[in-house]
Amino acid sequence: MGNERKQIKSLCRMCDDHCGINVYVDEQGQVVNIDGSNHYWNRGRLCVKGRAGVDFVNHPDRILKPLKKIDGKFVEIELEQALDEIAKKMSEITEKHGARANSIWKGEAVGFAQEEELARRFIHAIGSPNYFSNDSQCFVGRWIGYSLVAGSWMAQPDFENSRCIVLWGANPPSAHPNMTQYIMNAKEKGAKIIAIDSRLSNIARQADIFAQIRPGTDGALALGIIKILIEEKIYNQHFVEHYTTGFDKLKDYVQKFSKEFVCQETGISEDILNDIVKAIHFGKSQVVNYVGNGLEHHENGINNIRAVACIDALIASFDQKGGNFMPEGFGPSELTLYHEKPLTELEPIGADKFPVLYEYRKECHTMTAMDTIITEKPYALKSMIIIGANPVLTNPNTNKVIEALSKLELLVVRELFMTETAELADYILPAASYLERSELHYHGMHQVATLTNRIQTIEGVQDEYMFLHDLAHRLGAGEYFPWENEDRLNEWLVEPSGVTIETLKAHPEGYQYKPLQYKKWEAKEARGEKPFNTRTGKVELFSQYLEDMGYDGLPVYHSPDFIANPDSEYPYTMITGARKMIYYHSRNKNFKRFLTAVPRAELELHPYDAKNLGIADGDLVRVTSQIGSVEVHAVIKHEREIMPGIIQFTHGWKEANVNLITHDDKFDPIDGFPLMKAVKVKIEKI
Amino acid sequence: MKYITIDLDKCVSCSNCEYACAFAQTEDFARKDSNIRVNYYPETVTSITMTCMHCTDAWCMEVCPANAISKDEATGAVVIDQDQCAGCKMCIMVCPFGNIHFNPTKLVSQKCDLCGGDPNCVKFCISGALQFEEAEELFDSKRTKLDGKLNQLILEGKIKIKGGE
Repeated sequence: MGNERKQIKSLCRMCDDHCGINVYVDEQGQVVNIDGSNHYWNRGRLCVKGRAGVDFVNHPDRILKPLKKIDGKFVEIELEQALDEIAKKMSEITEKHGARANSIWKGEAVGFAQEEELARRFIHAIGSPNYFSNDSQCFVGRWIGYSLVAGSWMAQPDFENSRCIVLWGANPPSAHPNMTQYIMNAKEKGAKIIAIDSRLSNIARQADIFAQIRPGTDGALALGIIKILIEEKIYNQHFVEHYTTGFDKLKDYVQKFSKEFVCQETGISEDILNDIVKAIHFGKSQVVNYVGNGLEHHENGINNIRAVACIDALIASFDQKGGNFMPEGFGPSELTLYHEKPLTELEPIGADKFPVLYEYRKECHTMTAMDTIITEKPYALKSMIIIGANPVLTNPNTNKVIEALSKLELLVVRELFMTETAELADYILPAASYLERSELHYHGMHQVATLTNRIQTIEGVQDEYMFLHDLAHRLGAGEYFPWENEDRLNEWLVEPSGVTIETLKAHPEGYQYKPLQYKKWEAKEARGEKPFNTRTGKVELFSQYLEDMGYDGLPVYHSPDFIANPDSEYPYTMITGARKMIYYHSRNKNFKRFLTAVPRAELELHPYDAKNLGIADGDLVRVTSQIGSVEVHAVIKHEREIMPGIIQFTHGWKEANVNLITHDDKFDPIDGFPLMKAVKVKIEKI
Repeated sequence: MKYITIDLDKCVSCSNCEYACAFAQTEDFARKDSNIRVNYYPETVTSITMTCMHCTDAWCMEVCPANAISKDEATGAVVIDQDQCAGCKMCIMVCPFGNIHFNPTKLVSQKCDLCGGDPNCVKFCISGALQFEEAEELFDSKRTKLDGKLNQLILEGKIKIKGGE
């Protein structure tokens, strides 16, 4: 055994941590095992989800032939026929309604760096600005919040050199498994670990300070911390004076965030609040404030995130060793067409309602897309290509999503498996898995680029590039897809970077394209450049841009609705979206081994609430919001693990789909993120 | 010899080690099949993770009436020959740490065998709590960790050392 196996290095895509992997292939070319490679990023370690990537590529239920829905049933057709028919239908839609009636949606299931950019390029190439992804409800809120303050967001801060790591609504062991080893290494070297969460999460189990907080009140805590930092002069006065703007306004505003108010609002004790400040003080500028998705799904999400970023500003942790490092990019060729063909006059969907989301991320708004399809206002949206995404389970208000997607004249889904979204499609096309494509990926924390290896190819199963290439050529936009295949595209992509494909191939465990440099704002200032990539070039504690747009210029705090307007009919507050390590949102529920580990959706609740409601562990309960009901099994947590009155409902299960009861019309006014982590509900035992 | 070491200050009880071990035994993710066990106690927020310590004087090896337990010369692991095991469970009773369990399908005792020298639990440990370390180097790594803690206490002003800051 063993010696006839070939080892090939690549990157994992079972989640968005993108760990380095060794893929073991037998003599027949079959993938038989996967473990962690000594990549810069994961250093030989991997979570078991990565190993079970074997299931992903070899699964007997994989879709390997194009399917067309005829009289409600899917029948296999040839790829050429499918592409011809899809192109014909899209052309008809363009003729009748204009090109903007077509759209594309990039999912999280299959690709690496250029998958997203290719989708953006394609849709603009055919004349429509309507690019969608799950980013309009995940990740981008943090990106925008931080970018508004400091001009960028680094999803991978310098944990290992930090002396104080503050995790705001983030549980890396489940969501970004590989970050756990960095955080624990920092802890070993003496860093203070602070977990701010409504739930005692995996990472909170190893935290020095666990601040159990009421959902959506993180902004109050951050502003309370800022007030103390200013009062006790625990901030970097030089940095604040030279590199920030709006300090006096912020200082005035935080006066009302007294310890009494903050503790009452957040549920955190004064001792814990003082301990957090002490730990930040201990960290000096080597502090990582890492914001997770827990802060995004709130009506005041962006401002809460901005408030956290203002802490970084006061202690000058931006781009510091052990702080919130700001990586330099690889500098590839630009695949998107926003300069060449911006198409803003065609009214990208959601850009009028959420101009900040569009301006900062060129992201159309998926929740608005559903309304647009149904109402045809402000214009008709008739076709959508969805690549490796399952919005029927992952977008809020499932019933509306189903109604909208069913109303499309053309829905094309590229997938590996039949999903709840694919069932609504007119055509399902087999998608290449992450082991069947060669794409670039960048790990910002180490400034490392990696080219993934095409481990296997399956006849008739296209990678993203070939699919979009073939469709674009049929739609008269072939000039934008001139490369013969993905490999030629990659050669073009790396051209301006100065790094060759050969170099990347010689470094399958990552190639550091630039040595890390800290405090680049100093060097930039010395060169006469803007120190920070904001409008003023400074860190903006107050945003004139936001104020001019009619928003609060300061990171103003508003109490979440469940606190400001308690409703006796819906007395519980539901969090959803806390991940299970083994699953990736709606993915992997079709793998038998995964179901052995975590067999079903769970409703976590406090023992006090369970007792009041007469619920025993494992009971089936009904959870009802203003828009619907769903049944799920209860798991009674230890009294320390979740707050009374707060419940957590696992997402991504069709058998108990939490998004049947989440709202698509309650959102943060700046980025349009839906309220999913403080939904007012009632609970009944069935 | 290399040992699996466990740092309880790093374990987040994510169960990756249990799933990886179970997978190596049965290709499934049933935690009960795992030779390494993670017990989490929410009332004290404590994770206790344990696997076979491959004792130098292994009681399980001494007590086994079927001579099914031996030391693997290459890895130093105490291993059970499942073809020779009679299923009497003496080893399970004698192990002071409860690190041997019974496989109800094969009707034999089961325990960690260090995966032949490349333990899966360590490879799939995401926190770094599990390490596979040379016994001779354990001293060094433990000292480094302790020194780090002392250094932090000095930095925090909780202890003072003469001549220090």
